Amino acid sequence: MTIESIWFPIAASDDLPYRHVYHAQLLGTEMAVWRADDGFVNIWENRCLHRGVRLSIGINEGVELKCQYHGWRYANRTAGCTYIPAHPANSPARTIQNRVYPAIERYGLVWSGIEPEGEGPNFEFLSNRHCLVLRAVSINSPTNMVIEELRKYQFHPSSQLDAKHVEYEVVEWSTNTLIVQAQSQNFSTTALLIAQPVDSYKTVVRGVIEWDDGLEDIPVLRHHAQLINQIRNRVESRAASIPVAELTPLNMIKPSQEFPSSPKQPESGRFASYQVTIARKWQTAEGVSAFDLEPIKGVLPTFQPGAHIDVHMPNGLIRQYSLTNGPGQTQHYTIGIKRESNSSGGSHYMVDSLHEGCKLDISEPRNNFPLRRDALETILIAGGIGITPLLSMARLLDHANLPYKLHYFAQSEKHVTFGEVLSKLGSSVVLHLGLGDSQTKESLHDILSIHQKRMHVYVCGPAPMLEAARVTALKIGWPDEAVHFEYFKNPNAIDDSSEFEIALARSCLTLKVPSGKTIVEILRHNNVAISTSCEQGACGTCIIDVLEGEPDHQDVYLREFEKAGHKKIISCVSRAKSKRLVLDI
Amino acid sequence: MKTKCCSDPAVLNLWYAIAAIDELESDHSYHTTLLEENLKFKVDGNGNPSVRVVNSIPPGKTIGLKQGEEEAELPATVAYGYIWTSLGEPENELFSIPEYEESDRRNMNAATVGVHTSAPRAIENFLDMGHFPFVHSNILGAEPHTEVREYEVEVLQNENEIVATKCVFYQPKAATTSSEGADVEYLYRVPHPFCSILYKSSPVDESRMDVIALFVQPVSEEKVRAHMLLSILDTDNDNSVIGQFQQMIFGQDKPILENQVPKKLPLGSRAETSIRADKSAITYRRWLSAMGVKYGVLSATS
Amino acid sequence: MKLYNYELSANCYKVRLLMSLIGIEWENITVDYYPGREHKSEWFLKLNPLGQLPLIEDDGFILRDSHAILVFLATKFDDTGKWYPTQNAEVLGEIAQWLGFADSLNSTAGSARLHDGLFIECDIDSCRSGAHRLMRILDEHLWFQEKQNNMWICSHSNPTIADIACFPSIMLSEEGGISRIDYPAIRRWCDRVRRIPNFIVIPGIFAAGPDINCENTGS
Repeated sequence: MTIESIWFPIAASDDLPYRHVYHAQLLGTEMAVWRADDGFVNIWENRCLHRGVRLSIGINEGVELKCQYHGWRYANRTAGCTYIPAHPANSPARTIQNRVYPAIERYGLVWSGIEPEGEGPNFEFLSNRHCLVLRAVSINSPTNMVIEELRKYQFHPSSQLDAKHVEYEVVEWSTNTLIVQAQSQNFSTTALLIAQPVDSYKTVVRGVIEWDDGLEDIPVLRHHAQLINQIRNRVESRAASIPVAELTPLNMIKPSQEFPSSPKQPESGRFASYQVTIARKWQTAEGVSAFDLEPIKGVLPTFQPGAHIDVHMPNGLIRQYSLTNGPGQTQHYTIGIKRESNSSGGSHYMVDSLHEGCKLDISEPRNNFPLRRDALETILIAGGIGITPLLSMARLLDHANLPYKLHYFAQSEKHVTFGEVLSKLGSSVVLHLGLGDSQTKESLHDILSIHQKRMHVYVCGPAPMLEAARVTALKIGWPDEAVHFEYFKNPNAIDDSSEFEIALARSCLTLKVPSGKTIVEILRHNNVAISTSCEQGACGTCIIDVLEGEPDHQDVYLREFEKAGHKKIISCVSRAKSKRLVLDI
Repeated sequence: MKTKCCSDPAVLNLWYAIAAIDELESDHSYHTTLLEENLKFKVDGNGNPSVRVVNSIPPGKTIGLKQGEEEAELPATVAYGYIWTSLGEPENELFSIPEYEESDRRNMNAATVGVHTSAPRAIENFLDMGHFPFVHSNILGAEPHTEVREYEVEVLQNENEIVATKCVFYQPKAATTSSEGADVEYLYRVPHPFCSILYKSSPVDESRMDVIALFVQPVSEEKVRAHMLLSILDTDNDNSVIGQFQQMIFGQDKPILENQVPKKLPLGSRAETSIRADKSAITYRRWLSAMGVKYGVLSATS
Repeated sequence: MKLYNYELSANCYKVRLLMSLIGIEWENITVDYYPGREHKSEWFLKLNPLGQLPLIEDDGFILRDSHAILVFLATKFDDTGKWYPTQNAEVLGEIAQWLGFADSLNSTAGSARLHDGLFIECDIDSCRSGAHRLMRILDEHLWFQEKQNNMWICSHSNPTIADIACFPSIMLSEEGGISRIDYPAIRRWCDRVRRIPNFIVIPGIFAAGPDINCENTGS
């Protein structure tokens, strides 16, 4: 068993109060430890992936940790980067994920390790009873010298602090752990003492004793603090005579380390990377079912507000659904599905045939609808089931205390989806119920008429509403780049009659795209990796940079100014007006 | 020459600022450390500098110790208000800052500050705009105005110098006279691995730019003395006010620089995650690699 | 109220911080401590023969020494009596004790910071080890204070000038090469100080994050 595989206590539970970041070190590795508002304990490598600044000087925002240097945000649980303020319009790459160390909270201590094995610490005498955590003391000495001295830890039973005669029994549990029992008359107290190797020359002594709530804790804690301080003084005076040069540094931080985890996936086709179960299914509104999807194994990946997943159904269909979760919530993904009357089977299947306990395959979250956090005000406009991505955005804006309004157009009160979450957002949510087409247009006009510089609007809903919002915003003078849409589907009929050539700049290939075939199909046929999701020109996953030629845009993802620029193409539906397109792949 | 600790020719043959002339009494000897070598220096009554290596003074101690055996005289010159020296044989003349000679400018050493970091980390931070809203909050930047817009970076081959242009960043209270925020333009030059010059639109004269230069003296691989030169257009404020403003700005960078892990600048492209906004930092790292600088960096291959 | 002030001085910061927390208006008289060494200039030595910052001038009354100034300001201007509770003998005694402790922090951690940052001579090794000795004592004290639901240095439900006096040298210790990783109770207390309403920063100290529980801030 290597020292890296051992579970060590690295902090006490009390070291992690509300919105604090604790600075820990184990075996030469520094860790930033913080408790999220949901209680989850995060233990991360103590450096921002960007420029190496210690995250222990960052800010615990409750659901994300913010680096002090450039404000990069990392999500609770996954340590994935959720926001890079220097580029507010872009979603950070999925590979930007900090190294996470496992955490177990037990006996009032937080346990971790470099690569710990097994189920974690198990000390029967402390299980199912109250524990009293002693004050941890840091000692400038190698761990073996500390353990040597700890064997002589002569404390008094908690109820017998003045006892004259005490007997001891010491159990060497492991190289770093002792269990000491002190007995006087018929009273005994058992203590767990652990030497946490901080680095080759520093050790923290942590202790826990069994506890009886009837006693006063302060005198007992002082008794132990005094004894441990005495041990420190003895050890340090001995350790001071060791030449430092003889000490070999333990596992010091390796700066050239590659990015942690997230194995590279083949980027071709549509594959599912995670298996989930339906942990909960409920009706959240008339005709809308909500699903909590929990990972079968491991943890779900980081997402950003606006992200969607592909759900692969057992019947072979693949559908995209937006995540509604608030920031840092990755214990499960929550999606909402409306049973569409004209559906090709996806929503029917999900709503009718799937029940709690069913297994599903899903893709990693992709975000083609990123939320800027640098707007002076954000307006969210949702129609019907289009609330789902905007709900996730609203929850983030609410949490970050950024100014926003969520306008929600629904048929009636009964059709208000995720009402229980919306009600927590308070007065930022404005419901528009039961409006007809012309009233909707009027309301949209009112909402959008207050345009000011650095405001951004995000719209998601049925196609006629999106179109109305687009036209209204344009008329009022909103700049194109301040208006963001997400379509569920592409209402346009695709004209795939053209024939053209594509030249792949990076792969040095020239391919023909005949009528009736899409660019994506031709790429796949020639084994060129391209990742896709909706495959109907709505989600934007298959976007490619265009180096030369004029695209024939047929998607609803790109905005007008982007289409006019001829610099990008949505390759699942769009084609070429010129004879040839040079693509940057 | 080869120093006890530094054998990196790319670094040994450079000029380094070691002290501001204005802060020295003439004919008085001072000590400092450059590339782990202890130096003794002075200026005479005519303003001529001399710098020597001293062997027996333990590092970290500066004044009041017995003087040790002195070695040969090092090259020494005065430029931009500082004594410059070199432990090797400097091949090139010192880079030029033509603005320094303009008669209506206020030239001063804002401060010489010790920082527990490497010289290239200090330079890279100096080139960075993205941290303004978070580190210099409500002075050089303010949330939510965090976007770093596209700018241009090139390496001028003749001068062997990096230049970043068209850098624009939102600054609250852009001028002392206004309470409104506005975009401010910056231009950065890196003419020396451990020196950088920043040009910033002047609040008093639209057509000209203030100059702020950072000359880093590497004391060791992970410790520096940072000299900050100001050459600015300001007729209203005392030197001490102008200088203290710059000291305050640098004081805000300090806890960041002293909390970077590792302190040496990693040159491997995968060691740290760069983004578009880091274009000048990426160029700087490549440029250091290409020059073969080993001191204060973690080489791409190691 | 005039404050003879140097922006980067930890002792001047104590005074600025308390004035902000209490809400005292003041006029800034910049003293060019570095590089100008104006605190040793003739005009300043007339005001303070010790040649030290800070110094205040209140309606003709001149006072030097940051801790003396804290006592004066809190007594005269803090109507709530929280910062220096003159009616509470025990707390006043504790405050005096911890102001002495803060002086020791100045001459260890504070000197180390000036040595490393501005090359002001001192025995750096003994300054650093002295600072660690003091921080061990403060950390243990604060740990036991927390266990007794007391979030501040003195036995008082609010922060006092003792907290203000100790805070700057502690929070700026890293500039002198003194890490706080071994002092978790001190690190938590630093968070609490930074969350007191109207807290202000000095270069080297960042503001705490917003949106905090107001229960523990002592406000």
